[in-house]
Amino acid sequence: MSELVCDVAIVGAGPAGIAAATALKDAGVQNVMILEREPEAGGIPRHIHHPTFGLLVFHRPMSGPKFIARILSKCRNVQFEFNASVMEIKPEGILNIATPEGGKIVKAKHIVLATGARERPRHPRLISGLRPQGIMTTGALQKFIYGETLCPFKRPVIVGTELASFSALSTLKSGGAKAVAMIEENPRITAYRPAMCFAAIMGTPIHYNSRIVDIGGMNQVEYVRVKDKNGTRQIDCDGVIFSGGFVGETALSINSHLEHHPVSHLPLVDQNWVSSDPQISIIGNCVHPADMGDQCYMEGLEAGKHIANLIKNPRATTNQDLFHISHDSRIKMLTPSAVRIKDDDTGELTIHLHVRVPFWGKILIRQADQVLYSKTHRCLPARRITLKNVPISSHPRLNTESHFSPKIEIILGTA
Amino acid sequence: MLNQNANSRWDVIVIGAGVVGCAIVRRLCLGGAKVLLLERGADILSGASKANSAILHTGFDAPPGSVELNCIQAGYKEYLDIHKRLNLPLLQTGALVVAWDQEQLSTLDEIVEKAHQNGVDDVAQIGKSELHAREPNLAEHALGAARVPGELVIDPWSSPLAYLTQAKLEGAEYRFNAEVNGGEFDGNSWQLSTTQGHFNAKLAINCTGNQGDIVERICAEPQFKIRPRKGQFLVYDKSAANLISSIILPVPTKITKGVVLTKTIFGNLLLGPTAEEQEDRNEAPVTTEKLEELIVIGTKMLPALSAHGVTATYAGLRPATEHKDYQIHAQPEKNWIGVNGIRSTGLTAALGIATYVENLLREKFTNSLALSDTKANKTSWPKMPMLAQHETRTHQSGDGTEMICHCESVTRGEIERALESDIPARSLGGLRRRTRVMMGRCNGFYCSAKVAKITRGRLEVPLSTGETT
Ligand SMILES: Cc1cc2nc3c(=O)[nH]c(=O)nc-3n(C[C@H](O)[C@H](O)[C@H](O)COP(=O)(O)OP(=O)(O)OC[C@H]3O[C@@H](n4cnc5c(N)ncnc54)[C@H](O)[C@@H]3O)c2cc1C
Ligand SMILES: Cc1cc2nc3c(=O)[nH]c(=O)nc-3n(C[C@H](O)[C@H](O)[C@H](O)COP(=O)(O)OP(=O)(O)OC[C@H]3O[C@@H](n4cnc5c(N)ncnc54)[C@H](O)[C@@H]3O)c2cc1C
Repeated sequence: MSELVCDVAIVGAGPAGIAAATALKDAGVQNVMILEREPEAGGIPRHIHHPTFGLLVFHRPMSGPKFIARILSKCRNVQFEFNASVMEIKPEGILNIATPEGGKIVKAKHIVLATGARERPRHPRLISGLRPQGIMTTGALQKFIYGETLCPFKRPVIVGTELASFSALSTLKSGGAKAVAMIEENPRITAYRPAMCFAAIMGTPIHYNSRIVDIGGMNQVEYVRVKDKNGTRQIDCDGVIFSGGFVGETALSINSHLEHHPVSHLPLVDQNWVSSDPQISIIGNCVHPADMGDQCYMEGLEAGKHIANLIKNPRATTNQDLFHISHDSRIKMLTPSAVRIKDDDTGELTIHLHVRVPFWGKILIRQADQVLYSKTHRCLPARRITLKNVPISSHPRLNTESHFSPKIEIILGTA
Repeated sequence: MLNQNANSRWDVIVIGAGVVGCAIVRRLCLGGAKVLLLERGADILSGASKANSAILHTGFDAPPGSVELNCIQAGYKEYLDIHKRLNLPLLQTGALVVAWDQEQLSTLDEIVEKAHQNGVDDVAQIGKSELHAREPNLAEHALGAARVPGELVIDPWSSPLAYLTQAKLEGAEYRFNAEVNGGEFDGNSWQLSTTQGHFNAKLAINCTGNQGDIVERICAEPQFKIRPRKGQFLVYDKSAANLISSIILPVPTKITKGVVLTKTIFGNLLLGPTAEEQEDRNEAPVTTEKLEELIVIGTKMLPALSAHGVTATYAGLRPATEHKDYQIHAQPEKNWIGVNGIRSTGLTAALGIATYVENLLREKFTNSLALSDTKANKTSWPKMPMLAQHETRTHQSGDGTEMICHCESVTRGEIERALESDIPARSLGGLRRRTRVMMGRCNGFYCSAKVAKITRGRLEVPLSTGETT
């Protein structure tokens, strides 16, 4: 089997992967290779034509393809391998990839996973009904309409009211189709409130406190049935879009030697985006599904700098030093999800988290009986919540051998 | 009415392209008969055969002395004989019938005894410690098991496709979207009317699964009534497949084999089925409630399951009847055979059922049909595309084309070939079953638009309504 060798192999050419490559080259690392399973770079933004990118990075809104073109122009002398699907990651910097010519092996000093996020589709949601054609996600819809200029249906319903759901509304409009309804389980939309006006302008009613309980149709979708407190209603439609409910594309890490968080099931990453294997970093929306593309880009730059440092002065980082931050299932995920504390380390962490259910109250971070952070936050699902200036130090660990737990714990207090 | 089909070009018309129909067509073609297969769906496997557990059964728990047992064991043996020549996979898992309480534990003896009575001699009881050594992820309350080394996992879709492909190479013809809705027997041959006109043949064989009693009425009043029994499943992500190494079977009850945990040939973990009686013969919707119940049952057996994602949900309809045994009835005076009530073992038994039907024809239908010696050794053996996770897949050797479906590792070349094969896919379902495209954990997030583009103008129900406007 043929072999490719490089200093850093990055899996995924989305905003995060492109950023890491850019920072690595800027820091003088020699052979940086991006392995991308699609025939082109860009990841998710390739198929998002409305201006939801660029504010943070370029201080002006722009479409996904524009954003990608801009960030690619800063990413020089990087070797892009397209149609290269990474099939397996192994210890010691080894990757198995599939290419049109067959399987190959990649060997790198350091690996970066930047495989992105997707939406939770119909089946894992355990939705009742038949399996006709026309059931998809926003991402798939965007690939139909912007990627292939094909329209899958004319009058679908949209399940969910996240940003991606309104993105679906606008994508449909570009494709000459119109959503007949949006269906939301909660009494309010998940996205920021002004999005409601957009639905109103589009002429799409939002059904609150409603759940989809049936999908009908033998070939193509013919109807959905929606339940609310007044009973069950049928809505005729020719498609169903399950939007949002982001999940990390973590197939590679889950089937590997990497450790995962017991609650989020996402791969552990420390404050420098390094996983439980010190030769593997994980960045972008595959570890925090899903933040904005700009945020993933900024993070990729930071992670790239850190990796360049690691390559220049390889420190002995061992697994022993990695402690996962525990939390209950009201927290969907956080980054870092673990902390590497070395004996001489003190510092401050910035923790980003997402909640599954709305929470308004005190967030407490504890290490043993020491309180590291305590502040009131108002948290809504699908928003990035940032906890700044969390002091960490290795001191407690030095104190006693017997009953000290290095465990860091985030506690959502009562409102 | 369209009557261009009305000349008696065919010896036999087989009605229904489930696994049973496909196997029968193959067997009769190998015996030199001219056979036409009529199927109301857009592809083979439009009924019960599209959704099952894909286990090749030994017959260890089948009713002793039944036609079912006979056909299961003959089918099992023939599958092992021919699968390599057709490039069909086999996953040698073996099964464990696990006892979860004392009462079940006390019935393991009987299970072993019945297995031996059925000629499955290698079935033996194992104790708790051996069970947990073999299956360390099973919950603590697994008390013991009957081990059935011969139970295996196969590809439920490529197998029947292979049977029909081989038959086609031997001259068989088929029509899809041809629903048989009536027929007349003139003493010599049948004229069957369908949604695609009339077709004539000397003999007719009814293999219509859940429509069995309705179609049987074309010939005579049936001696059974179809009682569709739905089975829902959850397919877990590939990351879960290694939580078990054997098929985990429950101690059976009277109505069902119960909830099974098994690997699939495609590298997933399957949990199901339920057993739900229903009136509807066509639609098998999944229901949130039952799927959630299955998850509870599954995680009770295999607690680690809760860390793994669900890839797919589906439901199948068993063509059950009020009788326990298969309802295979020959009516030589009317040139008709009904092959019905192939309830929950038809994937395994199909090849055996085909031989059973062949024997009926050779014994009781000599006046209407003369079959030659079987040419199993002289025939051509189509090589099916290999889709099993544990075998070498196309992307590993490379076919010069890019990967389209990343979750299931399907190349553009594989999709193109399925659209151009001997029995080409003309529906999305058919394409999925032939290639695995869009069958993975993302449910088409990454590849469905590309598949829509590739298949444009090539599927009966397109994936897109057209160009964007
Ligand atoms: C439907 C949808 C709509 C969104 N809308 C917006 C929006 O409007 N604005 C916004 O800011 N953000 C949006 N996002 C968030 C989006 O995830 C980020 O904008 C951004 O794309 C994240 O960058 P990334 O690099 O982490 O991942 P991605 O952009 O997803 O890139 C990951 C890349 O990795 C590749 N890859 C994955 N696995 C492998 C493998 N095994 N081998 C090789 N390559 C692999 C993929 O092909 C892809 O190119 C949306 C996300 C989704 C899913
Ligand atoms: C939940 C479940 C789990 C199972 N697990 C296993 C297992 O692990 N192992 C195993 O061996 N078996 C298993 N089975 C059983 C197996 O799937 C069935 O026994 C088998 O599929 C029956 O095949 P068939 O050809 O008789 O019926 P079908 O597959 O239903 O075929 C009948 C065909 O006839 C067509 N048809 C109907 N009416 C007409 C008409 N009027 N004109 C033309 N065509 C018509 C239908 O469209 C259909 O394609 C399982 C079944 C279920 C439902």
